[in-house]
Amino acid sequence: MATAPQFPGLDFGDKFRFWPKHNEKIYERLEAKHAWIEEKRAAQGDGGVPATEWSEEDPLENEMILNMGPQHPATHGVLRCVVKLDGETIEKAVLDIGYLHRGIEKLAESKTYQEFMPYTDRMDYLSPYSNNVAWCLAVEKLAGIEIPERAAWIRMIMCELARISSHCLWLGVGLMDAGAVSGFLWTFQQREDIYSIFDEVAGARFTVSHARIGGVASDLTPRSFELIRAFCDSFREELASWQKFLNRNRIWIERNKDVGRITKEEAIELGMTGPNLRGSGVEYDVRRFEPYLKYDEVDFTIPIRDEGDCLARYFLRLEEMEQSIRIIEQCLDRMPEGPIRADDAKQAYPSKDEVYYSMEGMIHDFMYTDVGTQAPKGANAYHAVESPKGELGFYLTSDGTGRPFRVRINAPSFTNLQGMEYIMEGSLVADTVVIIGSIDPVMGEADK
Amino acid sequence: MPGTPVNTKTDNERELNFWENLYFPELFKGLGFSLNKITDEPTYTLQYPEEQWYPPDSYRGRPVLVEENGRPRCVSCNLCARACPPLAISMQSQEVDNVKEREPEWFEINMLRCIYCGFCEEVCPEEAIIMSKEYDMTFQSRDEAVFGLDRLLKPKEQMQDRLEYLDQYKNRQFGQQWDFQQDNNLHSVKDQHFLDWLADEGMKGLKNTHLRDDPKASSGEQSWGSQREEPAFSEHAPE
Repeated sequence: MATAPQFPGLDFGDKFRFWPKHNEKIYERLEAKHAWIEEKRAAQGDGGVPATEWSEEDPLENEMILNMGPQHPATHGVLRCVVKLDGETIEKAVLDIGYLHRGIEKLAESKTYQEFMPYTDRMDYLSPYSNNVAWCLAVEKLAGIEIPERAAWIRMIMCELARISSHCLWLGVGLMDAGAVSGFLWTFQQREDIYSIFDEVAGARFTVSHARIGGVASDLTPRSFELIRAFCDSFREELASWQKFLNRNRIWIERNKDVGRITKEEAIELGMTGPNLRGSGVEYDVRRFEPYLKYDEVDFTIPIRDEGDCLARYFLRLEEMEQSIRIIEQCLDRMPEGPIRADDAKQAYPSKDEVYYSMEGMIHDFMYTDVGTQAPKGANAYHAVESPKGELGFYLTSDGTGRPFRVRINAPSFTNLQGMEYIMEGSLVADTVVIIGSIDPVMGEADK
Repeated sequence: MPGTPVNTKTDNERELNFWENLYFPELFKGLGFSLNKITDEPTYTLQYPEEQWYPPDSYRGRPVLVEENGRPRCVSCNLCARACPPLAISMQSQEVDNVKEREPEWFEINMLRCIYCGFCEEVCPEEAIIMSKEYDMTFQSRDEAVFGLDRLLKPKEQMQDRLEYLDQYKNRQFGQQWDFQQDNNLHSVKDQHFLDWLADEGMKGLKNTHLRDDPKASSGEQSWGSQREEPAFSEHAPE
C-alpha cells in the first residue's frame, strides 16, 4: 500500500491512492470469473482433471496471467486487457478502462452548450464532426431549435466524410494488426484528403468544431465543393483497388474469418451497436429507424452481414464507405442556397454583419456568448446519431439556465467494449489485436 | 424507402478457390500493390521543414490581434476571454483619449493553453482578434509561450486573406435583410464620416464622454470600517 505523503498540504486522504486496491480488484475479478471454457470442460468430462482442480494440476505451466496494455499499440489507445491464458487460448479476460477519463460529462455542467463543442471533438477523435453534430442535435431537440435546410445538408456531408475517415483508419490499423504495415499508409492518404476538406470547410484538420447550435459556423467555399467532388471520384477508385487487393487475399481472410464471432442473439444481449451489430445480422441503424437531418430524403442502403465475425464486419464497413459516398453525392446535388444558422439570436449566434453594424446584434452576441441557449426548465432530451462506431447519443437535462444540468453520453465505443470480454474468451492471443481492431473502440469516447 | 437494410453478401465471398489458396502468389500480390503505389503515383508527402505547407484562408492558426492605423482594434471588452474554453486569454483595459475610449493595457494569450477553436474570433464584436495562418510555434520555456501585445498585434494589411474569407463566408448576414451601412453604425464612433462631419462643424474630435472626476474612486488606502471616510478625490482619467 502507498505510504502517507510527506507534504501535509497534499494529503488527500485515500482519494487518489486507489491504484493498489483497484489493481487487486481486477485480479480478483479475473479469478472469480466463471468463464464458459471451464463450464465446457466440466460438462465434457474428457477424462482429464476436473475443472475445479485445473489450476492446481498444471505441470507444464500452461497457465499464465498476461497484461495487454494500456500502452499496447494494438489496443487503439489506452485499453488494458488482463487475460488468463491456457497455452495460447484466452480462458478469461477482464478489461480495465478509464485511463483516458477526463470527466467531460461533469465539465459540461459548467459550460454553456456552445462552449462544450470543443470537448466533443476530443471524444471520438477519429470522427470529430459526428460528435459535434450529435451534440448540436441533442441541444436543438432540447431547446426546440429549427436549423435551416442548407445547414442540415452541410452537416450530413461532413458526417459522412467523418464516417469514411473513421473507417479508413479502422482499415489501415486493421491491416497493420494483421501484418501489412504499408496498408496503413495507403488508407491514411485518403484520410489526409478528408482532412484537407475539413481544413477548407471548418478551418482545422482534426478538431473541427464546425457545427454550431442552430446551424454551422461558416458556409462552404467553392473550393471545398471541388475538393469534395474530387474526393468522391478518387475515393471510389481507391476503394475498388482495396477491395480487389483484400477481398480475395488469403492472408487477410484467414486472419479474419471465424475470429471474434458473435451471433445475432449475443450481439443484442451484449448491447453491441453500429457495424458490430449489423455484422451479426441485426438490421439496426439510427439513420433509418429514427432519421435525423435529411437522412429520410436520400437514397442509400444499409449493408448487413449474418456471420458476425471479423470478416463480415470488414465487408460491411467497406460497403458502408461506398454508401457514404453515395449519400455525399446526393447531398451535393440537392443542397439549396440559403442561411446557415437559425435566424433567432436566442437560438444561435447572429451573423457578424449584424454584430458589427447594429446595436441589437452586438447585444445578442454578448448575451449569446455569456448566457447561451436557454432551454426550458425541466426539459430533457435524448438524441442519437449513427456515428461511425455506432449509436452516439447525448441525454441532456436542463434547469432553465444556459448550461446543462446534467449530460449523459451514450458512447458507442463504451457499449461495444461490453462485448469484448465475451468475444475474447476462448479465442487465441494472437487474435486479440484483430478482434480489438474489428470492434473498433476509441478510448477517448469510451472513457469520456 | 431510404436506408433499406440489405444483406449484400455475394456468393463465395468467404471461400477461396484453389489458386487463391496458394500462399506465395498472395505475398507477391501484396508487394505488387505497394510497388504500384510507389512507382505509379505522384509523391504525396511534403519534405516538411524545407517545403512549407501553406494553409487555406479558412485555416485556424494562432490567434492574432488586428492593428489598424497603428492602434489595436480591440476595445478590451473581455468577450473573447469569456468565450475561450481553455481560459487562455486575459487582459487589462485602460481608458484612452481617442474616440474608442478603451484599449487593452496588456493582453495575453497563453499559447500552450490555446486549442485553436476560433471561438474568440467568432464572438469578437470588433473583428479585432482573428485566426492567422501561423501553425508552427516552438517555445523554449513556458513563459515564452505567453504572448503579449507585442507579438499578438499584426497590421491589418498582413491579415487581408483571413479578413476577406471571414467577410465572404462567415460574416454574411443570413437573417432578416438589414439595410445597414457603416454610417448607421451606432456603436462605432470611430466612423470616419462622423468624425469628418464633426470637424466640419468646428468640433475637433469627440470629447471623451466620461472623463471621470469620480468621487467614488479611492486610492485604496482608507479604512472601510468604522473609521470610514469619504475617499480622496483622484483624477482617474488618463491624460
